[in-house]
Amino acid sequence: MKSLLVYIPGDTVIHRLNPCTKILLPLLLCIACFLTDAWWFLLGVLVLDIGIGFLAGIPGHTLKLLRGLGKLALFLLVMQVLFIQSGRVLATLPLGILITDHGLQVAVMGVLRLIDITLPLALMIAVTQMSDLANALVYHAHMPYKYAFAITSAIRFIPVFTGDMQMIMEAQTARGVAFDTKSFWKKLRLMIPLCVPLLISSVKKIESAAIAVELRGFSLRTRRSAYRRTSFDGRDLTAILAGLVLIALSVVF
Amino acid sequence: MIRFDHVSFGYGEGSTVHDLCFSLEKGGITALIGANGAGKSTVSKLMRGLLHPTSGTVYFHDQDMATLQASTLAARMGFLFQNPDRQICRSTVRDELLFSLQWTVPDASLHEAACQEVMDALSLSAQDDPMMLSRGERQRVALATALVHKPELLILDEPTTGLDYRECTRIMEYVSRLEKQGTRVVMVCHDMEVVLDYADEILVLSGGHLLGQGSTEEVFQDPSLLRAASLLPPQMIGLAARLGLSGIRTVEEMTEAIGKRKAGVQ
Repeated sequence: MKSLLVYIPGDTVIHRLNPCTKILLPLLLCIACFLTDAWWFLLGVLVLDIGIGFLAGIPGHTLKLLRGLGKLALFLLVMQVLFIQSGRVLATLPLGILITDHGLQVAVMGVLRLIDITLPLALMIAVTQMSDLANALVYHAHMPYKYAFAITSAIRFIPVFTGDMQMIMEAQTARGVAFDTKSFWKKLRLMIPLCVPLLISSVKKIESAAIAVELRGFSLRTRRSAYRRTSFDGRDLTAILAGLVLIALSVVF
Repeated sequence: MIRFDHVSFGYGEGSTVHDLCFSLEKGGITALIGANGAGKSTVSKLMRGLLHPTSGTVYFHDQDMATLQASTLAARMGFLFQNPDRQICRSTVRDELLFSLQWTVPDASLHEAACQEVMDALSLSAQDDPMMLSRGERQRVALATALVHKPELLILDEPTTGLDYRECTRIMEYVSRLEKQGTRVVMVCHDMEVVLDYADEILVLSGGHLLGQGSTEEVFQDPSLLRAASLLPPQMIGLAARLGLSGIRTVEEMTEAIGKRKAGVQ
């Protein structure tokens, strides 16, 4: 997952969009996904998401993201099918667990929504430099720099924490903790040896980062300037309009 | 005990270590040395089974490591990471050690004695909160979590980095005692003085390739090998080489050799 949340340089039409547009677009897609009740609409948005990935020149990365999300989606699908017991019974499992049409419907809609709203966000991270995002939030969205910096730092730290998590799992495996087990349920029981060191290292890292920026006079300057300026042009307007049309369609269907 | 048979490994595209072939027999302390990015930590993780080769085979007692589950090997192979905070997850030193044992020793009646033995040996206090201890003490706690299993092979990834001289000596003296009691030790180390003081054998790595393997004396007296790996010999060895002396490791030996030479001149 570490390599899935990194910036991939490029010069495609998606890369050239204003960073604010790249944040707004997943948000509009997210609203559209929650407004619709049609599974085929959600499927269409998924195709659109994949299309955006291909248009951004990162088809391999898009499919890798999709594969990673697919595993989580499969787990959620099974859980929802097993726990939603209302509706017409399609099959009966041992221990009296029912598989119902309503359960299946809710589960499929749920996982499609999950993928539809997560994939564009991950793609946005892959095609946007965090410094550009911070600048665009300040100049176009008029967000105070302090908050823009906090948002971009949080996104930037995701791969760092993912790397840390991998290291912790290796360290715990070396002392005998069975992180290398194939059993999902056993892995679920190993959250404490994973979460405690991860939490401590995360807090330490954030504290160090905060001290480092303060030492550079982060809070002293009141005016900000940026070497790179991002423009907001017709491409951005078209993308936002497309997102709004999608919302309108989601209300209709 | 450990054998690398044409082992290569890469984290993504390309290889981090290339076609490594070497074996480590029982007994002794082996140091893996090389510049940053030479592949030392990767080799140590391959040795422990935390990583699997992209090609070639790592054998532990003639068993292919790829067929063994890394966590189940904790009782036979201990591993100390450079950063002890990656392991610590309990609120007392005693609980930390018990947590390690519960995965490998099913008989709980044996746990207490094993914990006490290793805590005494490493001067650790059972009720201390590991996160409140100093860096050196936390490193000792992490070492204790590996040693509580009494492993036959102990792998140390930069065990003395960030430690003061007293903590460094304390840990290395204990490791040295373990080696004398029969534990095989492999350590990744940047500090050539520590390597000179404690290692019997050295593997020199550069750019993922094994440049050389030999006794500590042999390697440190081969300037071309060290230069190829972008390393410098320990100061005493370097000074002895410039003075045309050999077999010198310590200040005392150097003083004695200079004294003898002076007496010879007079």
